[in-house]
Amino acid sequence: MPVDYILTTCPYCGTGCNFFLQVADGRAVGVVPCKTDETSAGSLCIKGYNAHAFVNHSDRLTHPMIREGDQLSKATWEEALQRIASEMKRISDEHGPDAIMVLASAKCTNEENYLIQKVARAAIGTNNVDHCARLCHASTVAGLLQSFGSGAMTNTIPEFENADCILVTGSNTLEAHPLIGTRILKARDKGAKVIVVDPRDTPLSRVATISMRQESGSDVAWINGMINIIISEKLHDEEFIAARTTGFDELREIVKNYTPERVKSLTGIPEDDLVSAAKMYASADKAMIAYAMGITQHSNGTNLVRALANLAMVTGNVGRESTGVNPLRGQCNVQGACDAGALPNLYPGYQSVEDAETRSKFEHAWNRKLSEKKGMALTNAFDKALTGEVKAMLIFGENPMMSDPDIGHVERAISKLEFMAVIDIFPTETVKLADVVLPAACYAEKNGTFTATDRAVRAVRKAVDPPGDARPDWQIACDLGRLLAGDGFDFASPEQVLAEMAAVAPIYGGIDYERIEEEMVRWPCPSKDHPGTKVLHTESFKIGKGVFAPIEHTPPAEETSDEYPLILTTGRNLFQFHTGTMTRRSAKLQREAAGPYVEINTEDARRLGIIDDASVRITSRRGTITLAARVTQWIRPGTIFIPFHYAEAAANRLTNNALDPTAQIPEYKVCAARLEKA
Amino acid sequence: MRLAFEERGADYLLAIKEAHGQAAPVLLRKGDDAGTMRFDVPYQMTMILTNISRFIKEGRIAVVARRCDERAIAELVKRDLLNHDNLVVIGLACSEEQIRECRCTDPCPSSADIGHCAAPAKEDQAASSIQSMPLPDRLDYWIDQFRKCNKCFGCTLNCPVCFCDDCLLEEKTFTPEKGIPPGLAFHLIRAVHLADKCVECGECERSCPSDIPLLALRKMVNQDMKRMFNYTSGDPERRSPLLTTLEGDPMEDDGDAC
Ligand code: SF4
Ligand code: SF4
Repeated sequence: MPVDYILTTCPYCGTGCNFFLQVADGRAVGVVPCKTDETSAGSLCIKGYNAHAFVNHSDRLTHPMIREGDQLSKATWEEALQRIASEMKRISDEHGPDAIMVLASAKCTNEENYLIQKVARAAIGTNNVDHCARLCHASTVAGLLQSFGSGAMTNTIPEFENADCILVTGSNTLEAHPLIGTRILKARDKGAKVIVVDPRDTPLSRVATISMRQESGSDVAWINGMINIIISEKLHDEEFIAARTTGFDELREIVKNYTPERVKSLTGIPEDDLVSAAKMYASADKAMIAYAMGITQHSNGTNLVRALANLAMVTGNVGRESTGVNPLRGQCNVQGACDAGALPNLYPGYQSVEDAETRSKFEHAWNRKLSEKKGMALTNAFDKALTGEVKAMLIFGENPMMSDPDIGHVERAISKLEFMAVIDIFPTETVKLADVVLPAACYAEKNGTFTATDRAVRAVRKAVDPPGDARPDWQIACDLGRLLAGDGFDFASPEQVLAEMAAVAPIYGGIDYERIEEEMVRWPCPSKDHPGTKVLHTESFKIGKGVFAPIEHTPPAEETSDEYPLILTTGRNLFQFHTGTMTRRSAKLQREAAGPYVEINTEDARRLGIIDDASVRITSRRGTITLAARVTQWIRPGTIFIPFHYAEAAANRLTNNALDPTAQIPEYKVCAARLEKA
Repeated sequence: MRLAFEERGADYLLAIKEAHGQAAPVLLRKGDDAGTMRFDVPYQMTMILTNISRFIKEGRIAVVARRCDERAIAELVKRDLLNHDNLVVIGLACSEEQIRECRCTDPCPSSADIGHCAAPAKEDQAASSIQSMPLPDRLDYWIDQFRKCNKCFGCTLNCPVCFCDDCLLEEKTFTPEKGIPPGLAFHLIRAVHLADKCVECGECERSCPSDIPLLALRKMVNQDMKRMFNYTSGDPERRSPLLTTLEGDPMEDDGDAC
């Protein structure tokens, strides 16, 4: 047929909108929204509408390459794969398998992530496998596991529409998760109260019922403050607390000290606003919390997540429709990459690698002895490369040279490696430093599944052929697995891979292609006749009782000083996505936000003599970048914001690799910086 | 199928069918297995048709069209943007529910090949309740609504009579880049720009993720067009009164540019 419409899943944010790729003459030429899709309901954001644009871009990688001196030269698949396999074997023989770090990708499908972690664990023999969830929601996974027993969004996207109150913090929802943001707007139009807590004014905060701007890094204080008000006003849900939770008394003791006055001095939030917000949230029948990187990307990220869980449990807002604690996952498949076990401490389905019984289950399934030692986090791997403990990296579709904190450090670490192979669709900053490069198929060129932020497993369908010799990552992972391990990697299709994953990960037990082809299933789905699960923790928590965590406010790892007087925070804008690899190659998106900029408050700008669009230099303890100023009243005085999409002025040259002790997530949201005219 | 290929001699049929549990647009050729056809979900068929016709150089395309599609096609044909000889229109009468949803006053296609014509709606409650507000409140109302816009451009992309290749309104002059929401100019210029074309299919309002009542706005502008020029868009015969000289003589240009 000259024109086809292929139903598939958006490759950008974790909302997981489905749409039709319009294919004409073998090329992806447009996007048509799917009217009957439960998630997107016939709408998309500007990124979704332009999701075809980068697919045919002339920069796509089309053939394997091997480094010869300073040059990457064209090679055959055979040569390139052999080279990777022989280097991996050599390094493993000389230094042990733990000298190899494997990076999976939240842009790859569930099946691919399953295979990539299997390559690491079963073919190379190390638990050193991780991916960019470390950089976004590692603290969610850790924090919610401790509080509730499950690290995922408790409720689902459509439920936002029916909430009575929605508390949004650390999420610029209308820009970063547009179709979740618009659900919140729909709720608002129906009369729901919307509370936004964010150091920046966002498009959502401007239409919110209450908007509070806290100082970056002071979140525990306002959350504890709200809980304190709720308890002293007797708005807490005693029945829920008694029946379903433990540790309330300790929590009550701790939050007592967070009076509105004290919270104001720690966060800058006016007392009245805090009191109104607390009452509003607590008196709603169904109240939802939504949060994103503004909570997780802190050196106390795990504690912050637990503080939000406290707030929800105090008011009994867990386990019912339109309630819960809802982390908004950033990448199209960051949820799935975690589910599939691309984490150094967890096998597929969140099963601990340190648990002997689980390990023997996997040893049996994969017919191989597995490492007992939990692996290394992505954020530690570059440190370990500098000290020589890590000698090689195998990187699927990630771009640490842009996405990781303190890029200068990453660059030095990479230069110390003996070997680095990168599999990607475009020549990214990381690809340029690789020893072997393999060209991958993008989302439009392969079959598989993505798992959206609300645990919905959604089909990705092949619409067009990959360019040149590019191949899907699942085939590449199978080829490498076969070369390194012999057996265990003979999969003819992603369908077969998902079948194996379902057999070892009970939360996916009942999910198969036959179902995914026709319906939307959300995990946990333990058996074929199970309908999937919308709301988690309805009867009891996964760990029995929900656990309150008494948490104290601690200052961020890096504080301002005379030399670095401003707080720098980073994030996304609507039009670009992450390291810009795809969006900056999409004409309409690039037009909207072409170059790097820093947002600075009008007052600060006046004081420093800076006008809009002036060139400014920003320096932190780790580096300097130069970019344009955008003077705005939408950001708090004393705070500056840089979107991290732009290689020419990469925000992550400045950010701090201070890590959360539990989740090893870096503190992207706070570092001290100085701004000057350039 | 039979109607399209055998009775009306089309080479292709553009319709909506059931696929993966969803209603999906599909282009069929004679003899293809159509599966289950669906007529209950209002996709913007004219917009899909215009996109497809760029790729189909030969043959006639049959399209399952509602009344508003017929009128949109008329607007495009008048401007030489579609060739009627290459089209076969299969009329689909809208359901009562659909009519209610669009507050549609002209729901019956010239030939109702599928379904039965139901009674038109009387007036648009949404538009009249906005019109009954005092003027300052009305402005506040629209400002609050437009604050919800997140520049998806769904309202322009899915509009059957938005035919410019590069929408000037999407350029930074009217929708300052780097941020949302866009200024009022985007919505207001667009409202006026569509005055002599909008066929009230309602697709802008349906596509809008933020539930901005765009159809109500269009209807209000169309009422003014009717009152001032006695003109209703979608009329295959009459040229837009906006495309005349000040003396009322027709202009040379077809009005096929922005
Ligand atoms: S909201 Fe997210 S998933 Fe939906 S279209 Fe936009 S980027 Fe894609
Ligand atoms: S469809 Fe709605 S949100 Fe999208 S550009 Fe139009 S008015 Fe704005």
